[in-house]
Amino acid sequence: MSRLEAKKPSLFISDPLTKDAVSQSLSLLNRILKSCYGPAGRLKQLHNGVGGYVCITSQSSAILGRLSVSHPVLKVLTASVQNHVARFSDCGLFTAILCCSLIENFKSLPVPSCTVIKISKDLLSLCTDYLKSEACGCRVSVDFSNLKTLLCLVRSVLTSKPACMLNATEVDHLTMLIVKAFMFTIPCHVETKAVLGKCVTVPVKGRRVLDSTVLPGLLIETPEIQFAKLLSVKRISSDAIKIALFCVSMSGDLFNPEEGMITVHHGISLEMSELNQLLNVGKQLVNDEVGLVVCQKVIHPSLKQYLKENQVMVVDRAGLSVMEPLSQMTGSKPIASIHSFSPSCYGSLKDVCTKSFGSKHFVHLIPNDTVVCSLVLCNRNETTWDELKRACETAEHVLQLTIKEPLALLGGGCTESHLASYIRYKTCSLSTSSFKDADYSQTQYQLIADAFCSSLESVACSLSHDDEILTDTVYGHCWLVPSGFPSVSNWSDLLSKCGCGINSNTQNLNWRLLRPHFGSPTPQSCPEEPSVKAADLLTLDCFAAKYSGLQVAVETANLILDLKCIIEDQN
Amino acid sequence: MAFRDVNSRRHIGLQQLSSLASAGRTLLGPMKSCKFVVDESTNQSMLICSAVRLIESLDLSSAAGQLLNETIQAQNKEFKTGMSTLLFLVGAWSNAVLECLQQNVPVSAIVSVMSEGLNSCCEKVQCLQISVHDVNKELCSSSVRPNTSSSKTYEVACDGFLNPQIFLCLQKEVSPSKELVPRNSCSHQEADSNLNKGLVSPLADCKQKRLTHSRYFSALATSPSSSQLDDSQVCLSGQSAHPCECYGLGHLARALSHGNEPNMKLLKSIVAYQHERAECSGSNQFNIAEVVTCCLPGLPESYSCICPGFVTLVSPEQAAVIKHLGDKPLRILLTEGDLTEAYRHLGFTKPRNIRTVLERPDLQEGRPGDVWLNTSLDILTRSQVSLVLVKGHVCENLLERCVANKILVVGSVPQKVLSAFGEASGAQPVTYLTQLSASCVGSGAQLELWTASDGRAMDLGELVPVRIRVRGLTLLTAVLTTAVPAKMQLVEDRFWTLVYRLHHALRDGKVFLGGGAVELLCLSHSQALAKQTLKLANKKPVKEFHGPWLAASSAEYKPVVLQALASGWSQYLAAVMCNTAKATSLFEAQTLIEHHLKKAADCGSPSAYVLKEFQTGGMFQGGPVPSTGSAEGCRVYDNVTAKTEAWRRALDLVLLVLQTDAEIISGPQTNQLLNSPASSEFMFL
Repeated sequence: MSRLEAKKPSLFISDPLTKDAVSQSLSLLNRILKSCYGPAGRLKQLHNGVGGYVCITSQSSAILGRLSVSHPVLKVLTASVQNHVARFSDCGLFTAILCCSLIENFKSLPVPSCTVIKISKDLLSLCTDYLKSEACGCRVSVDFSNLKTLLCLVRSVLTSKPACMLNATEVDHLTMLIVKAFMFTIPCHVETKAVLGKCVTVPVKGRRVLDSTVLPGLLIETPEIQFAKLLSVKRISSDAIKIALFCVSMSGDLFNPEEGMITVHHGISLEMSELNQLLNVGKQLVNDEVGLVVCQKVIHPSLKQYLKENQVMVVDRAGLSVMEPLSQMTGSKPIASIHSFSPSCYGSLKDVCTKSFGSKHFVHLIPNDTVVCSLVLCNRNETTWDELKRACETAEHVLQLTIKEPLALLGGGCTESHLASYIRYKTCSLSTSSFKDADYSQTQYQLIADAFCSSLESVACSLSHDDEILTDTVYGHCWLVPSGFPSVSNWSDLLSKCGCGINSNTQNLNWRLLRPHFGSPTPQSCPEEPSVKAADLLTLDCFAAKYSGLQVAVETANLILDLKCIIEDQN
Repeated sequence: MAFRDVNSRRHIGLQQLSSLASAGRTLLGPMKSCKFVVDESTNQSMLICSAVRLIESLDLSSAAGQLLNETIQAQNKEFKTGMSTLLFLVGAWSNAVLECLQQNVPVSAIVSVMSEGLNSCCEKVQCLQISVHDVNKELCSSSVRPNTSSSKTYEVACDGFLNPQIFLCLQKEVSPSKELVPRNSCSHQEADSNLNKGLVSPLADCKQKRLTHSRYFSALATSPSSSQLDDSQVCLSGQSAHPCECYGLGHLARALSHGNEPNMKLLKSIVAYQHERAECSGSNQFNIAEVVTCCLPGLPESYSCICPGFVTLVSPEQAAVIKHLGDKPLRILLTEGDLTEAYRHLGFTKPRNIRTVLERPDLQEGRPGDVWLNTSLDILTRSQVSLVLVKGHVCENLLERCVANKILVVGSVPQKVLSAFGEASGAQPVTYLTQLSASCVGSGAQLELWTASDGRAMDLGELVPVRIRVRGLTLLTAVLTTAVPAKMQLVEDRFWTLVYRLHHALRDGKVFLGGGAVELLCLSHSQALAKQTLKLANKKPVKEFHGPWLAASSAEYKPVVLQALASGWSQYLAAVMCNTAKATSLFEAQTLIEHHLKKAADCGSPSAYVLKEFQTGGMFQGGPVPSTGSAEGCRVYDNVTAKTEAWRRALDLVLLVLQTDAEIISGPQTNQLLNSPASSEFMFL
């Protein structure tokens, strides 16, 4: 008999943003995320409090993935940032900090939220139009015939993740590897539709970062005993090995064992009949002159023994992650049944050999046409390895996004401060006549624009954790000075380069402290585009990721500001 | 979800690291003080002297503790040595960094200056690396002693010591503190034995005469004249073309042993065995994969030895089988996984929804388990297998039946043993007995009971050591003994540490000058860097790795931070000196170090000074006891990669924790945290 319980009434919360608890949680979240930002960002220890695995990170993907927020407002915010990160990998913290700052700044204004939303949409399109325009002073175009910009993009991603614990040599080494791996994934012969290959990360934890390497083809880990016994492989020609790829378990356990009850007569062994079926598969493989069998799951020891006796190399427990690249690389179709399969499923490989890294042994599958490669990634311990893996994947994704849209934005806070000063200049130069038809006043517009710009600037300021941030009035870039110094009139003694590294301190650029408070002085002119655009060690950000981040942040902030009530189902 | 700030000035994480690391102070250097670990629930106790075992026994519920554990385990997995150094430096640098924070040095400056400082030091100490080849040449040539019965190469290599009397007198002079116990005085030349008698300590009256401590005399133990030794258990048999019979590695082993004398001897015999085999097969000279250990608590430590083959413990009933089988060559089977009825290979899920229907009960068939037992036994007897090595567990009933059928089944055999037997006997490992075919079975295995060198009977309670061999088997077992069972783990740990040190030295192809030489140079170098930056402090900051973001801030704080880095090595050296009784107090040690630093600075080139000191055996002579003169007598070397990696891991950990400003605790304990006394520290999202 089931027990019935009366339904609890739903909880209705009106104007959630005015509640203290929400503001506090929001500002705490903002504080956490701001403190993580940039190459000098502070790290967070994420753990379960009972002695489990400790994750040390400053990356939004790791933090937001493990952060369990309770309030619906925060849930909306984190969900949209996570969605952005899932699509672009990079600029998660930028998005989240900008969104939090926008909400905090807009909320405090004496302007109705519908007006705020309308104006901020305007400002957003002002930004996006500028970023997309040729005149944009904070972007550089990426030249794929020259590695420099690509290396800068990757280096900026790696150096912005301090928990990877890399030194300069290690950053250079990994930067080269990631770009090399990316090059491997670009197909040599492009037909109508180019599809990028895949780079599979092979974990080798406990070793030095400098031991990391990139190999064309795939590496599949294999236990030692098998490693010692890899026989010479049966080939169909000097540079072709026939390969069969199974994605179904070949361990000999019964098909679909969870449903219903099976009754068998004593003396009949289902296990034996299953094994016989497997051995039939083995016979077919041997007859078809297959040289290598790779199974995603486990292969029954008897089948393995049979195949080995017939000079067929066996690799089992390959795992799901290599299935897709393996199928792409060899042209084989994963076989999903042990009862019937056609020889058309087989693919081919150029060669097979073995490789060892530390105590791990691998079978190295070498394809004819390299679009798949393996990044053997090493770092000294588990925590830093995990962080490095996330960083490398982000860097690879950034390169993929950049090949679609060959642009990059100046990093180190310069894009944000440049954009802010551009918006300030544009909004100040609007004439009163342009507000005639609008349903808001010029004052309201100015207020919102100011809040919008200081939100952008506060993202740039988050890059500094011990130091002061300055901005120049010529280019609108970010500059950094140590905080210990008494306020000096002549900043140029202390400054060497701006945040992105494109401008050096050669002329008086009329610096001022950058503080994200309201009422910054109005720029007299539109911020300029730096004259030289080819410095060697630029800090660059992914264009697509930042562009989307900006949109996501503004739209999410608008959505949250628009919240009038929350109805919570308490059952 | 809870969130806690880590107070930046008095950084909680760094304090935790520092207090955890302080427990490992006495584990540093060649003279370690052991620790007793007592399990309060069982009242069992264990002696430990390595950082790994210490960390295993500490309460590591804090996040910093977890990270420390992870770091030490990672170093242990990769190198098996350097963990105590790592632990110590974690503590020393945590304290130094805390002091920097007290002086308001920004975190980013500490991070960038310290990691750059360590890089610079690692580059600097490259001049103290010496190739293994050169070490061997130097050590071997300096160790050769005259021996009238030996080959000509001896005389060529040692013409400086043509007169044995002079040579031995010299020794008497240089190492008076060492006890020299001749192994078998009558087997040596007259001059030797006379002199030895003069040096003999009271221990010489013991029946078990051995040479200890002096590597001049240890050469005797391996010389062809001591032929009374059982050739299976002591260092070598036969003569070699090498001038000093260390097979190129024995002296290196000694220099890496850091005073770990008993294990050094074991290592030397491994080297000798493997050298002998390498000469026949041309394979690697030193292969760590071919060494396993067998621990026999209850026997005095002097019974430790190296045995070719696989030594393991079996029950007395099984030992009886061995007596029955005699020394006939036997057929051998290797199985992966367990040898039980229920065992299925990994990845096999047993169906739970199968019901077996029995139509006509057959009373003669007996219990269901018997079918498997009978079949298994039948398979084994039909293929005439007498020895089964099993990777996993073995079913008790099968074990009994096998004993009754004169088949020896040994369970829990390590993978590398299986591989070695597979290679030597031609056996192919199987997972199930039903897979067995003629080609899977190997042959030529030999069984015998293991006996100590003096034939002393083993009284190890319920278990009997046996030795399994196959012709061509490359496997060596280090039989480790100790009369104190609580020390067993410690003995095994120390053995592996030394084995791995030699392994890494050969893999690196080079070694560091040891005994603190490297650390002293690091100390002097980081102090020199600090002075340099002081001079440059007012100049314009140079652009550095972290870009404009960190360059500016770090220049000002560089001297302070580099001093903090230096203090790690200074404390390290002082602790080692205190542990080895080279200094009676930390203060005295510091004074001594200051003295050397000053001399190094005065000399103009600190690296030249350190090299000279090492050559003349001034500050860095090794061995537990400080002795005068004879630098060569106790040269000490260290691993290169293991050491620099330990430094790097220690610093990385400290900097990682330093850069952490908050803990985020996820999971269902939010309510517990809310009610805990520390709840005020937390914020909730």
